Amino acid sequence: MTEKADERLIIKKHTRSLHRGFELWPEAGKSHLPAMGDYRWTSDLILSTWLQAETGEPPGNGLEYRVGNSGGGFDVLDFKFLPQDHWFPHDLSPDLSIPLNRRPDGARIGIPVPFYGAGMSFGSISEQVMLARAKTAQAWKTFTSTGEGGYPESLHAYKKHVITQVATGMFGVREETIRDARIVEFKYAQGAKPGLGGHLLGDKVTTAVASMRESVPWISLFSPFPFHSVYSVEDHKKHLDWIKTINPEALLAVKVSTPIDIDMVAVGSYYAGANIINLDGSYGGTGAAPEIAKKNIAMPIEFAIPRVHRYLSQEGIRNEVTVMASGGIRTAYDIAKAIALGADGAILGTAELVSMGCTRCGNCERGRGCPFGLTTTDPELSQLVETDWGAERLDNLYQSFTLQLRNILRWLGLASIRDLVGRTDLLVYRGPRQDGGSAG
Amino acid sequence: MYQRYHLHTSSAPEIAPFPNRTVVKVKKPGLAVHLIQELIRYRGNRAVALSRPCLYGVFSGPVGGFAPRSDSCVACLRCTIEYPGMVEVRLNPKHLSLGDSYFTPGHVDTVCYEARTGRVPVKGAGYRGRFGGEGWDGMWTDMSEIVRPTRDGIHGREFISTSVDIGQKPPFLCIDGQGLVTGESARGFSLPIPFLLDVPPSSVQSPKLLRVLVDAAQNAETLAVLPITLVRQFKLEGRIVPLVGPDDAGLLEGLGFAPSMIELEGWNETLFRELQKRFSESAVCLREDFISPEELLERYRSGVRLFHLAADYHGLGQDGRFVLELIQEAHAAFLQAGCRDEVTLLGSGGIIAAEHVPKAIICGLDAVALDTSLLAALQARFLGECRDRRTSRFQLPRRLSVNWGTQRIENLLASWRDQLLEVLGAMGLREVRRLRGEIGRAMFEKVLEREAFAGIEGYDGKS
Repeated sequence: MTEKADERLIIKKHTRSLHRGFELWPEAGKSHLPAMGDYRWTSDLILSTWLQAETGEPPGNGLEYRVGNSGGGFDVLDFKFLPQDHWFPHDLSPDLSIPLNRRPDGARIGIPVPFYGAGMSFGSISEQVMLARAKTAQAWKTFTSTGEGGYPESLHAYKKHVITQVATGMFGVREETIRDARIVEFKYAQGAKPGLGGHLLGDKVTTAVASMRESVPWISLFSPFPFHSVYSVEDHKKHLDWIKTINPEALLAVKVSTPIDIDMVAVGSYYAGANIINLDGSYGGTGAAPEIAKKNIAMPIEFAIPRVHRYLSQEGIRNEVTVMASGGIRTAYDIAKAIALGADGAILGTAELVSMGCTRCGNCERGRGCPFGLTTTDPELSQLVETDWGAERLDNLYQSFTLQLRNILRWLGLASIRDLVGRTDLLVYRGPRQDGGSAG
Repeated sequence: MYQRYHLHTSSAPEIAPFPNRTVVKVKKPGLAVHLIQELIRYRGNRAVALSRPCLYGVFSGPVGGFAPRSDSCVACLRCTIEYPGMVEVRLNPKHLSLGDSYFTPGHVDTVCYEARTGRVPVKGAGYRGRFGGEGWDGMWTDMSEIVRPTRDGIHGREFISTSVDIGQKPPFLCIDGQGLVTGESARGFSLPIPFLLDVPPSSVQSPKLLRVLVDAAQNAETLAVLPITLVRQFKLEGRIVPLVGPDDAGLLEGLGFAPSMIELEGWNETLFRELQKRFSESAVCLREDFISPEELLERYRSGVRLFHLAADYHGLGQDGRFVLELIQEAHAAFLQAGCRDEVTLLGSGGIIAAEHVPKAIICGLDAVALDTSLLAALQARFLGECRDRRTSRFQLPRRLSVNWGTQRIENLLASWRDQLLEVLGAMGLREVRRLRGEIGRAMFEKVLEREAFAGIEGYDGKS
C-alpha cells in the first residue's frame, strides 16, 4: 500500500472517530471533560453548540446553551419575557430579516437572518472551512467574509454571498474580487488585537497561502496597523470612494474595534459613506494574538453597542446605517441581546468554528495549526474537515439559532427582529452568579 | 553614538519540575483491545492502526498511549474526543496548587513562559477569562483607531520610549543673566524601563538570589532595592538601591559605591534630612505603605520628592483597598496640590502581570517595583498565602544558579517591556512618560456598565 493511501486511511480513521466524538460527548455531559471550557465558553456552551450542529435544535438535555460563566456582559443579562398566555402562537413566524443598506440610495441588500459570518482569512482557516462557510451563507442567503487573505478560486461559485475584506496588508485584494463583491469590508482593527494589526505565523504561510497573498512561502506575514493612508475621516472617505470607483454597486462595511471614542468613530464612518458599521468587541476570536491584547485593550462589545446606538440616534443618523456586532457573540441569546442593546444584527466567528469541532484550546497558531483541521492550512490536517460535513453542521447551527431567535421574539410579543433594536426595556439584569461561576 | 535600548533574551528552561496544566490518563486494557481491533480492521497496516490522535507528542513515546507524556499535552482534547472510553484529560492538581489565591496558577504559567522565552505570550482563540471583576480586571486600556506613534505601525514599536525619570524636579528653573541655572535643579536620573526590582522577602534572602537581582539590574540598566545589611554583609555593588531604616542607616558609611538612589523605610524626618545632606548625589526615596493624601502632602512639604508606595503582595493597602484605587488617590493628591510633576511615585504590591504595569502607570505611578513576579520567574514555590515581605514563605529551587536566574529575570523584563510597547502602540503613544496619570486612556467596568446598562430592570449601578 502506498504512503498516500495510508494517509487517506489515517485521515478517514480520525475523521470518523472525531465525528463520533462530537456526537457522543454532548450526550455524556460536561463532567467527563473536566479540562474543557473556560469562563466565556463553558464546556456546556461548547457541547451544546456541537449538539445544535448535530440536530438543528437547542439542547433538551440540561446543557446551558444560552450563557457562559463570565460574570458580566451578556452573561448577566436576560430577557423579560411575557407571561406564557401572552406569547405569540407557534404558527406565527416572526420576521428575522434585516436590511444591510439603510441609506436611501444604493443596492437594496438584505439578509433573511440577523447574522452573517465573520472575516476569517485563507491561511488562518483552511479552504475546506472557508467553503463550508460560504456554502452555508449561500444556502441561508446571508454572507460570509474572506478576511484578509484573498479569494481562493473555489470561492467564486459563492461570490454573491462573500464579502471581500480589504485590510492594511491588502493581502489577496484584487480588482476582480472587489468588482465581484456585493459588500466590501474595510477592516481597520480587530477586536481581539486592537491597534496591533494582523500576524500570520510563518508555519501557516504554505505555498498556496503565499501564492494567494503574493508573498513568500513560510515567511510570517504582518498586516500593519493602521492604514497608512488613513489618518482622518476624510482619508477614510477617500478609501471608500476608491472602492466605489471600482464597484459602484457595492455596499461598504467598516470593521472597527471598540475604543472609548467608538461612538465618534461610528459617526465618522457613516459620514465617510459606510453602509454597515461592524463593531468588533475585544472578546472576539483570533488565529493568534498577544494575550495582553485580548483582555486589556478596548471595551467588550456589550458596552460598545449601546454607546454607538445612542450616539447615532442623537445625531439623527441611526436609521441610515446598519450596526453589526461581533467579537464575543456565542449564542442565539447573545445575538438577541446585542440587538436589544442597539445593534441591527450580529456577526459569528468562533461559534461557527465551535460548531465544526473547535474546543477553544487556543493552539491555532502553534506548529501545524489546529488539531481539528479548522484553523490550519496543513494539507493533511485540513482534510479532517470535509466541506459538506462542515456546511451541514453550520446549517444546523443556523437552524437552531433562528429557531431560538423566533422563540425569543414570540415570547417578547414582537413580530420582527427589527422591533427589538435598542429595546433595553425588554432586558433584565440578573447580575453575576452568587457562587462566582467557574471556568468550564 | 545613538544606541537603542536592548534587553538580551535567550532561552532559560525550567530547572525544577513544572507541572503541566493537564494530565492524560489512558485505560491500558481498553487501549490494548482497541489496537488489536484496529490491526484487524486495517489488515495489519501498522501505519494506520497505530496512528495517534495527538499532534503534540503525548503518545509518541516508545510504548505510545501506554505511557502518555502528559507534559506535552496542550489540552486540545482531541484524544479524548476521539476515544471517549479510553483517554481522559484532567486538570493537574499539582498545577492547581501553584502560586496562591492572588498569584494564581494561570499567572505562574504566564510568568514562567515569559521568563523562559523572553517573548510576548501569543495564543490563538479569543479571551477566555472572566468578563471583568475587581482590581486590575475591572479596567481596560484604550486604543486609538487611527493615530499611531509612527507611520510604521507595529514595526514602529522600536521607536517608542519606555524611559522614565526618577527623582525630584523643580516646578520651574531659575536662570540668571548669563543663562545659567540658579537655585534648585533637577535631582534624579532616568531608567530605560519603568521597572525596578524590589527587595525580596526575608524567607529567601540568599546570597545567590541577591546576586541574581544585582546582575539582572545591571544587565537591564535598572535598579535592585536591597536591604543595606545584606548589601554590606555580602559586599554587593552595582545598580543597587540600599534600603535603610533608623537602626541601620549608619551602614551607608563606607559603602563601596555611590548609589543613585537610597530608600528610607518608614518616615523619619531627621534621618531623611540627614540622608539628603550626606548623600547629596543620591535621590532619597521614602518607602511607606500607601498613606492618606494628607500624609503624602505633609511629607511633600517636608521635602520628600520621591516616594515608593508599597501595598501588600495581594495589592491591598492597610485599609484593605486595592492598589488601583490607592495609586489614583495618591496621584490625584499631588495633582490637586499642583506639584505632581515635582515628585516621582514608585509603587509595588499586586503588580504581577505585564498588563498591570501600564494600568498602574495610567493610574498615576511613574514606575513600578516588581516583587513576587520575580520569584515566580525563578520558580520559587509559594508556601501558603504570601501576603507580605516579612511573613511570606517562598522556596527557591535548589538548583538555582546565578546565570540562569539572571537570564530568567532579564527575559521577564524583556517580555513585559515588549507588552508595554504593544499597549503603548495600540494607544498611539510615543513614550511611557506620557501614559502617567492618563486616566482618560482607561475604561473601568463599573463606569461602562453603568452607562450601558442604566435603565435595565434589576441594574442598580452598584454591582
